[in-house]
Amino acid sequence: MQDLHHPIVELQDVKRIYTLGTNRIYALNGVSISIEKGDFVTIMGSSGSGKSTLLNMIGCLDLPTSGKVKVNNVDLSRLDDDGLTAIRRNNIGFIFQQFNLIPTLTAIENVEIPMIFNGASPAKRRKKAIEMLKKADLPLEFAEHKPNEMSGGQQQRVAIARALANEPPILLADEPTGNLDTRTGQNIMKLLKELNSSGTTVIVVTHDPKLEEYSHTTIRIQDGEVVE
Amino acid sequence: MRYELFIALRHIIARKRQTILSVAAIGIAVMILMVSQAFMAGFTQELYSKTVDNLPHVVVSPEDGEDHIYLYKNIVDKINNIDGVVASSPYLTGEASFKYKDNTKNAVLKGILPAEEDAVAHTRDDIILGDYDGLTYSDKSIIIGDTFAEDMELELGDNVEVSFPNANPVSLKVVAIYDTGTALDESLTYTSLKTAQDFYDIEDVINGISLRLNDFNRDREIAEIIENNGYNADGWTVNNPEILRTIAIETVSNNITLGFILLIASFGVVSTLNMVVMGKVKEIGILLAMGATKSNIRFIFLIESGILGLSGAVLGTAAGIALALSIGSYPLPEGAYGLEVIPVVVRIGDVLRIITIVFLLNLIAGIYPAQRAASLDPVEAISSR
Repeated sequence: MQDLHHPIVELQDVKRIYTLGTNRIYALNGVSISIEKGDFVTIMGSSGSGKSTLLNMIGCLDLPTSGKVKVNNVDLSRLDDDGLTAIRRNNIGFIFQQFNLIPTLTAIENVEIPMIFNGASPAKRRKKAIEMLKKADLPLEFAEHKPNEMSGGQQQRVAIARALANEPPILLADEPTGNLDTRTGQNIMKLLKELNSSGTTVIVVTHDPKLEEYSHTTIRIQDGEVVE
Repeated sequence: MRYELFIALRHIIARKRQTILSVAAIGIAVMILMVSQAFMAGFTQELYSKTVDNLPHVVVSPEDGEDHIYLYKNIVDKINNIDGVVASSPYLTGEASFKYKDNTKNAVLKGILPAEEDAVAHTRDDIILGDYDGLTYSDKSIIIGDTFAEDMELELGDNVEVSFPNANPVSLKVVAIYDTGTALDESLTYTSLKTAQDFYDIEDVINGISLRLNDFNRDREIAEIIENNGYNADGWTVNNPEILRTIAIETVSNNITLGFILLIASFGVVSTLNMVVMGKVKEIGILLAMGATKSNIRFIFLIESGILGLSGAVLGTAAGIALALSIGSYPLPEGAYGLEVIPVVVRIGDVLRIITIVFLLNLIAGIYPAQRAASLDPVEAISSR
C-alpha cells in the first residue's frame, strides 16, 4: 500500500531536447516537479511553453533526453516500448482537446478499447463500459451512437468514460474544455472535480486561467522551465 | 474473437469502397491466374489425350542387327505378364507403293492384329467411314487415312494395287477410312498382319510390338524391364521427346507470366494498406495512448492484409473457375484448331495452391505497412490531423 502523501508523478531535472537541423530546441529545460496522489493539478502555460511535452512525459508517451521520470514509483527510463505501454495502460487515462474518439466505433465500443488492450472479457467490458458512461454522465441512449452523431460535450464525456475504463490512478487532460462552449466546459470540469474527490489524481494542462479555480495546485511553465 | 481482429474488421467494414477496390484488384489477378491455370491444365490434358494417349507408350523393336522379331508370341505373352502393361500389339510395318487409276503414292503399310492394335492405340475411334473389323473379316483389305484417300481419289470399296520391290503385288480393298487429324492420315495404312507377311513374303515374324500402360508416366521403367529381358524397348518420352518439351516450355512461360500477375496484385495490397496506414495515423496514435502495444498495431494491419488477401483469393478463384468453365463450355466454330471446345480443367489442387500462395503473398506484402504503422510516434500521431 502506498501512503497518501507519496508522489504519484515525479520529475527530476527533466530535459527534452529536439534537434531541428543544427538547432537544438529545449522543449523542457530542467523541470523538477512532484505531484501527490489524489491531487488536482493544473499545468498552465502559453502555447510553445513546453506544457504539452511535459504532459507527454507524464503520460509515458515520450521519454526525456536526460533526467528522470517516475510514474507510480516506476522509473520510466528503464523501460522498453512494451513496458512503457503497460505503465500507460494501467496508470494513465487520457482526455484530449479534440476528444480523439475513433470515428468508426460507437460510444460504448470506444470506451471498451482500453479494456480490450487490457485483456478484459467481452461481457466484462460491456458491463464496465456502461458503468463508466454512467459515471461520465452520458445519457445511455447515446451508447450505440457514433461520435459524429453526438455533441462536443457528449463526445468529451465518452472520452472521459474511456479514460476511466481501466480505473487508472491518474487522469491526464489536455485542454479538456478547449473545444467546448463555456457552460459545457464548466460541466466537464465539475465532472473531473468529482472524479478527483473520489481519489483519482487529475492533471489538467491548459492555457485557460479559468480552469485554475478547480485545482489544488498550479504549476506554471514558461520556455521549458517551471516558474512557480 | 481476438481484439486485433475486431479492430481490423472494423477498419475493413468502415471503408467499404477502398475494401471493395483492393479485394477486386487481388480478385481479378487471382481470376486471371485461375483461368490461365485451368487453360494450362486443359491444354496439357488435351495434348496428352491427342498424342500420348493414342501413342504406343512403349515400343519393342528387333534386337540390334536384326530386321525382325522371331517367335514373337512368346515375347508378347511375357510382356503381357509385366505389371502395368494393359495391352500389347505386335505388328509388321514396311514401305509400299500404292496405285489406283493413274494415281501413285508411297506410304507405310502396317500389318496388325486389329483388336490388339485398337487396345493399344484406340485405332477404332479414328474410323470415319466403313468398318474397322473389315480387316478381321477379309484377308485382302486395307484401312487408309482420309488425306491418303483424297490424294488417291480412293473411296470405300475401291481396290488399290500395292507393290514393292521384292514383294508380292496384291490388290487390297478399302474397308475403312480413318482421320487422326495428323500427318499420319497421308502416310500410314493398315492391313492385317497375315496380309502384310504375305506381301513381304516372309514367315510369321514381326518387326515391332507396341504397348499400352495403365500409367503412361511409367514408360521408361517398363521399357527397362523389357530391355533387361533381352529386347530393345523405348518409352514414348524417348521416341517423342518433343511432346514433353512442348509441355515444359508452356508450363515455364505460363508460370513466369502468372508470377508477374501475382506480384502486381501484391503491390496493389501494399499500396492500399499504405494508404490505410496514412489515413489512420491519428487513430493509431489514440490506440497507442489507450494502451495498445506496437505488436498490437502491427498485428492489426497484418490481419487486415490477410483478410483482404484471403477474400480476394477466394472470390478471385470462384470467379476464375466460373469464367474458365463457361469459356470451356462455349462451342468453337467447327474445324477450328481441330477442337470442339477450348480444353479447360479445374483441379482442386490448383485452387488450394493459388489461394494459399495469394494469402501468403498478401501477408508478406502487409509487413511493410504494418511495420510503418507500428513504428509511428504516438505523440506525433495523436497531434496529426
